[in-house]
Amino acid sequence: MSWRRLRTLLRREMLATYRDPFTMTILVAVPLVALLLFGFVLSTKVKHMALGVHDASDSPASRRLVADLAAGGTFDPRPFATREALERALVSGKISTALVIPPDFARDFGRASGDLAPGSARPEVQVLYDGGEATLAGNAEAFLRSLVSATGAALVETPPRGPKRGTGVDVVTSALFNPTLDGVPFMVSGTFGFVLSFLTTLITAVSIVNERQAGTFDQLQVTPATAVEILLGKILPLGAVFAMDVVLMMVIGGLVLGVWPQGNVLFFVSVSAFYVLVSLALGLIFSATSATAAEAVQKTVLFSIPLVQLSGFAFPIRNMPTIVRWLTELLPATHYIRLSRAIYLRGAGPLTLLPELGFLVLFGVILIGYALRTIEARG
Amino acid sequence: MIIQTRNLTKRFGDFTAVDRLSIQVERGKIFAFLGANGSGKSTTIRMLIGLLRPTEGTVEVDGVDVIHHPRRVRDRIGYMGQKVSLYQGLSIRENAEFYAGLYGLAGADLERRWGALRERFSLADTEQEKPEDLPAGIRQRAGLALSTLHAPRLLFLDEPTAGVDVRSRALFWELIQDEAAAGVTVFVTTHFLEETDYCDWVCFIDEGRLIADAAPEELRRRYSGGYRVALEGAPAPRDRIGQLFPGGQIESTPAGLRLVLPTLEPAALAALDRLVAEQSGLRVHIEQPPMNEVFRRVLGERATTGGAA
Repeated sequence: MSWRRLRTLLRREMLATYRDPFTMTILVAVPLVALLLFGFVLSTKVKHMALGVHDASDSPASRRLVADLAAGGTFDPRPFATREALERALVSGKISTALVIPPDFARDFGRASGDLAPGSARPEVQVLYDGGEATLAGNAEAFLRSLVSATGAALVETPPRGPKRGTGVDVVTSALFNPTLDGVPFMVSGTFGFVLSFLTTLITAVSIVNERQAGTFDQLQVTPATAVEILLGKILPLGAVFAMDVVLMMVIGGLVLGVWPQGNVLFFVSVSAFYVLVSLALGLIFSATSATAAEAVQKTVLFSIPLVQLSGFAFPIRNMPTIVRWLTELLPATHYIRLSRAIYLRGAGPLTLLPELGFLVLFGVILIGYALRTIEARG
Repeated sequence: MIIQTRNLTKRFGDFTAVDRLSIQVERGKIFAFLGANGSGKSTTIRMLIGLLRPTEGTVEVDGVDVIHHPRRVRDRIGYMGQKVSLYQGLSIRENAEFYAGLYGLAGADLERRWGALRERFSLADTEQEKPEDLPAGIRQRAGLALSTLHAPRLLFLDEPTAGVDVRSRALFWELIQDEAAAGVTVFVTTHFLEETDYCDWVCFIDEGRLIADAAPEELRRRYSGGYRVALEGAPAPRDRIGQLFPGGQIESTPAGLRLVLPTLEPAALAALDRLVAEQSGLRVHIEQPPMNEVFRRVLGERATTGGAA
């Protein structure tokens, strides 16, 4: 390892990267657009959602329920006189969630508060939602449940006796539920994982294969430069750009979306910078093992599809089948996203995160080691 | 011998790109490595410089076993690939600084070395330009300058004149010959057969096999109809010619006589001088057998006998 050679390699890579307006635009614009896009548009937060209401009971209890639903600001209840009208609105897409309060709602409440033999009817409401908008509707439904059960509990003056009778809704579930359904911090902290995985790999994926096609990689390999020097010369300058991206995303996420990291900023940037190097090394592997730039990009894209699905960035890992859950552990991104959320949302420090940090280091050793081998390889 | 290979073989799956190649290159010579596209030239050169691991055989470059210690020769060799390896987006000068840095050349040493090369390779006007803005001839020259920046003992040039106009090619060969005159061994591949006349030794490979390995003159002697010397303008006595050129054949042509000689040695040239002195008004025109003809015959012989020359 020669410092002079490394400096020479670094200087060239920096000149090439910083002089290329297209690459620089991508390096700055994509993280910010992704952050704002995921933060605003894909946010799972439910706000002013049109809720069709058919109140067949038209009783003090049912009117109280509808008023409580409207008060939260999450739903804008719209009354429908008949059930048919409500269903037509659902089909036409005017509303995606609806609540049907049956005629005997008030009567059942009356019974529930008094002595009741087990097995007789409990108060019921029906929630209809458009299954096509699964995520949003699912969230809305869960929120609706929690609101209904809260109102229900308030309406029932005497707490129910006996085993697990309650008000028809499992109250335990709603206690675990994020009451404001605010998905922005979750998405913001996850976006770091998405951007730092996808963009890093994509940028380096074309790097070696392009140099190989231009002939400069052969030239580089007949000079005294070693594989370690070539690797560091490639990933350090880009690593610096991505470290700046991390800071930029933190600031924009804070100023625009109001999400600031709960944990130590320096710790978060350090973990992110290390993850960037690991991810850049992965891109170099794709690059060094591809014959053309198109092939390298295809490998990156193919790799990035499961990245979105399986890393826990968008879909919760704990709901996946066991085998898939094991697969997710094989993605470095899964571990980084866990780390970034822990630091960002829960303010976790290095000690509590040791196992995940260990995984990340392990991936780093494997991927950087393999990247070195592919750079050194002679056909 | 600065390069020595024994039974050098490279197979890619079922395809044998280079087949039991044994060559020797003398120090300080220009060694031409000829062959059609896909005949194994680049594969061989890549094995010689340690970019490719041979399937079988041995390679020794400047006393180093390149297969096991490819890094040990890197300071001593210069290489210019088919695609001239200049970084786009960087000026010629910046490219020079980059490669110099990798060889540990900087500061005043770099100034001196690059200054000299810049003059010799006529790059002073273009050193601030980027390679993508320059014509192929200048790019090639700059590439050669960069591959000699660290003053290597051995230069490997893979098709250095491909895609370059005739004038630039001639200029380029002058530069290569300068290098050889300064003691550098030059291993050069080409498919321009006439360029072998710039070289001291010629190897010809076909389908990965060595089919000719000799000095250009020797190849001409063996594989051509010989030098055709037209004697015109004055009657020349056949007997005298027969005396002066015992190995020659004499043919009649409408304009006079034609003497066919297998080689053009100093003795034959002296005899021609004498003939011109004896016969006033005699015009002599010597036609060198073109290398194309030589290689057509080499290939033809291979097709009929299947053996190496």
